[in-house]
Amino acid sequence: MSTLTPATLDEVTPRARAGNAAHPVQARPLGRSLVLPLLLPAAILVLWQSAASFEWLSPQVLPAPALVLDTFLELARNGDITAALAISLHRIAIGFSIGALLGLLTGILLGVSERVKDYVEPTLRGLFAVPSIGWIPILILIFGVDETLKILIIAKAVFVPLVINTAQGIRNVPVAYREAAQVMKLRAVTRLFKLTIPASLPAIFSGVRLGLSHAFIALVVVEMLAATEGIGYMMVWGRKLFQIDTVIVGMLIVGALGYALDKILRRIETRLSTWTPQHGR
Amino acid sequence: MTIWKTIAGIAVSAILIGSAHAQTQPEVIRFGGFGQGFGQPYGVALLAIAQGKDFIADEFKGTQVKLTFEYFTGTGPAINEAIANNRLDFAQYGSLPNIVGRAAGLPTRILASYGYTTVFGAARPDLPIASFKDLKGKRVAVAKGTVLHWAFLKALEQNGLGLKDVTLLDLSTADQLAALAAGSIDAAIGTSSLLALRDKGVVKIFYNSNDIGPKAAGFGAITVTEQFEKKYPDATRRVARALVRSAAWLGQENNREEALQIWAKSGVAITALRAEFDGVALKNVFNPRVDEFLVSQYRDAIAFSKAQKLIRADIDLQKWVAPDYVDNAVDQLKLNADFPRRDESGRAAGS
Repeated sequence: MSTLTPATLDEVTPRARAGNAAHPVQARPLGRSLVLPLLLPAAILVLWQSAASFEWLSPQVLPAPALVLDTFLELARNGDITAALAISLHRIAIGFSIGALLGLLTGILLGVSERVKDYVEPTLRGLFAVPSIGWIPILILIFGVDETLKILIIAKAVFVPLVINTAQGIRNVPVAYREAAQVMKLRAVTRLFKLTIPASLPAIFSGVRLGLSHAFIALVVVEMLAATEGIGYMMVWGRKLFQIDTVIVGMLIVGALGYALDKILRRIETRLSTWTPQHGR
Repeated sequence: MTIWKTIAGIAVSAILIGSAHAQTQPEVIRFGGFGQGFGQPYGVALLAIAQGKDFIADEFKGTQVKLTFEYFTGTGPAINEAIANNRLDFAQYGSLPNIVGRAAGLPTRILASYGYTTVFGAARPDLPIASFKDLKGKRVAVAKGTVLHWAFLKALEQNGLGLKDVTLLDLSTADQLAALAAGSIDAAIGTSSLLALRDKGVVKIFYNSNDIGPKAAGFGAITVTEQFEKKYPDATRRVARALVRSAAWLGQENNREEALQIWAKSGVAITALRAEFDGVALKNVFNPRVDEFLVSQYRDAIAFSKAQKLIRADIDLQKWVAPDYVDNAVDQLKLNADFPRRDESGRAAGS
C-alpha cells in the first residue's frame, strides 16, 4: 500500500519554481514528441511479457499482459469499471473542488498579508507535516466511514500543495511590478486581479496539478482503507481475491486517468496564460 | 559370477537407498499462520499449540531439520502471496482464502482442520438489535472475502434473510471498532475481538455461532504445498502426526488454561479467548480430521465463493483434500475415540 508523503514547503517549492521556468514550451518535431514517450512503456511491456513467458515470477504473482487485458475487457463489459470510476471521480470532484477552493483562498491570504502569514503559517506547516493517512484513524472516529471521511481526506490532500504554491507564487511576484502598482495607486481588488493572480498563475497551476495527483493518492488510500466501492477498493478487493490482474487493471486505470486529467489541466493553463499578458519575458 | 553380480547389485542399491534416505528430510520446514493484527510472532488455533508445545520439533528430534514459524498480519491474502512466492510449506489460514488461493492455481492440499472459530455479532447498544432477524435494513460491517463473510451469509439464511436485506460494508476489524463507536455502522460480524468492545460497553453481543453449532462457525485448514508433499512424504507424515498430538493435548480439559495462555501471546485478550471457548469441549473444536464434515463445509464455501464471484475457476475438492495423513496418525496414536469421523452435520459418524 502506498503511503502519502507529507507535502512540506521544501518539497513543493522547487517544483513550483521549475514549473515557472519551464513555462515557454518550444515546438518540437511532432513525430518525436509522439514516439519518445511511448518507448519506456513499450520497454516495460516487453519486460513484463518476458517475465510472464519465462516464468521469472509465478503466474499468480505476475499475470501475463494478455490476462490483464482480458480482465480489463471483462470488467469494462460488465460495467464494474464504469461503476467504480463514477464513484471515485465523484469523490475526486467534490474533494478536489473543496480542497482547491479553500487552498486557493488560504494561499492568497497568506501570500498577500504578512499578518495572516505570521498568525497562521506555523500552525499550517505543522498540520501539513501530518500525512493524510495519519488523519484517518481520528477522522473515522468522528465522521465514521461515510463519504464525508473520504472527501475530507481528498480535500486535505489537495489543500496542502495549493496553499503552499499559491502563497509562494504571490510572494514571488517581482518587486518591480509591486512597486509599479503602488506608484499607480491601484485599488486592492484591481491589483489582485490585474497583477497578483496573473503573475502568480504558473505557480498556482503547478499547485493545482500537484494537488490533483495528491487527490488520486488520497483517493486510493482512503478507498483501500474504508470503502466498499470505487477504483481503489477494486484494487484491494482484487488483492483479497488473489486476482493480481484486477489490481493491475486498477493501477493502469488510475495512472491513465491521472495522466489525462493532468493533460487537461495543462491545456487550461496554456489557455489562461495566453489570455493574460506576458510580463516581458 | 552371477552371484558376485547380485551381491554387487545389492550393495549398490543399499548405498543408493541409504543416500536417498539421508535426503528424505528437508533442511528447513516453513510454517505460516494468520496473525491477529497485533504484530506478535505468535498465533492461535492448532498450529500455535504445535509450535508452543514443541509437538512438531519433537517429531523431528535427531534430524537436522530447522523449523520456522511466521504469523501474517495480512492474514489469508498475505499467506496466499507467500505460498505463491514459495516462502511457505505449511500454512494455517481460513477457508475462504484457502479456496481463493486454490482457485487461482496455488498448489495447496488440505492436510488438517485447524479447529473452528466462534463467530460473533455485535451491535450498537442503542439499537433494538437482539437477533439476526433485526439486521434487516441495517448497515453491517464484515471483512469481505474472509470466512466471516461466509459465516455471515450462513447466519442470515438461517434467519430467513439474504445479503440483499442488509447494507454490507467491507471493513477490517480495527475500522469496524471505530465505525461502531462513531455510529456509522449498526452492527459488525467478527471474531472474539468484538468481546473486548462489549467489555468496554461500546457494543452488545447479539449473536454467537456456538448457539447454532459448528456448521455456523468459522473454519479453515492447515495446508501443505504439493511440491513439499511429493518431495518429503515422510516429513509430511511427521507434521500431520504432530498436529494430531497437538489436538489430543488440546482435547484434555486440564490443558485448557495453558492453551489459552499460549494463544494469548498472539495479542488477543485472554478474557476474549476464554469467553470464545466457554462451554464447548476443545476436543470437538479441534478435531483435526479432514472428514465428511470439513469437506461438506468446504463444498458449501466453494459454492458461496462462486455465487459471490470470489473465484473464477472451479475446484476439484476430492483432489484437493489429503485426509489420509491425519487419519493414519489418529489410528497410529489410537485416538479414534477422541477424534471420530464426523458426518455432514458435525455429529460423530455412526453414533
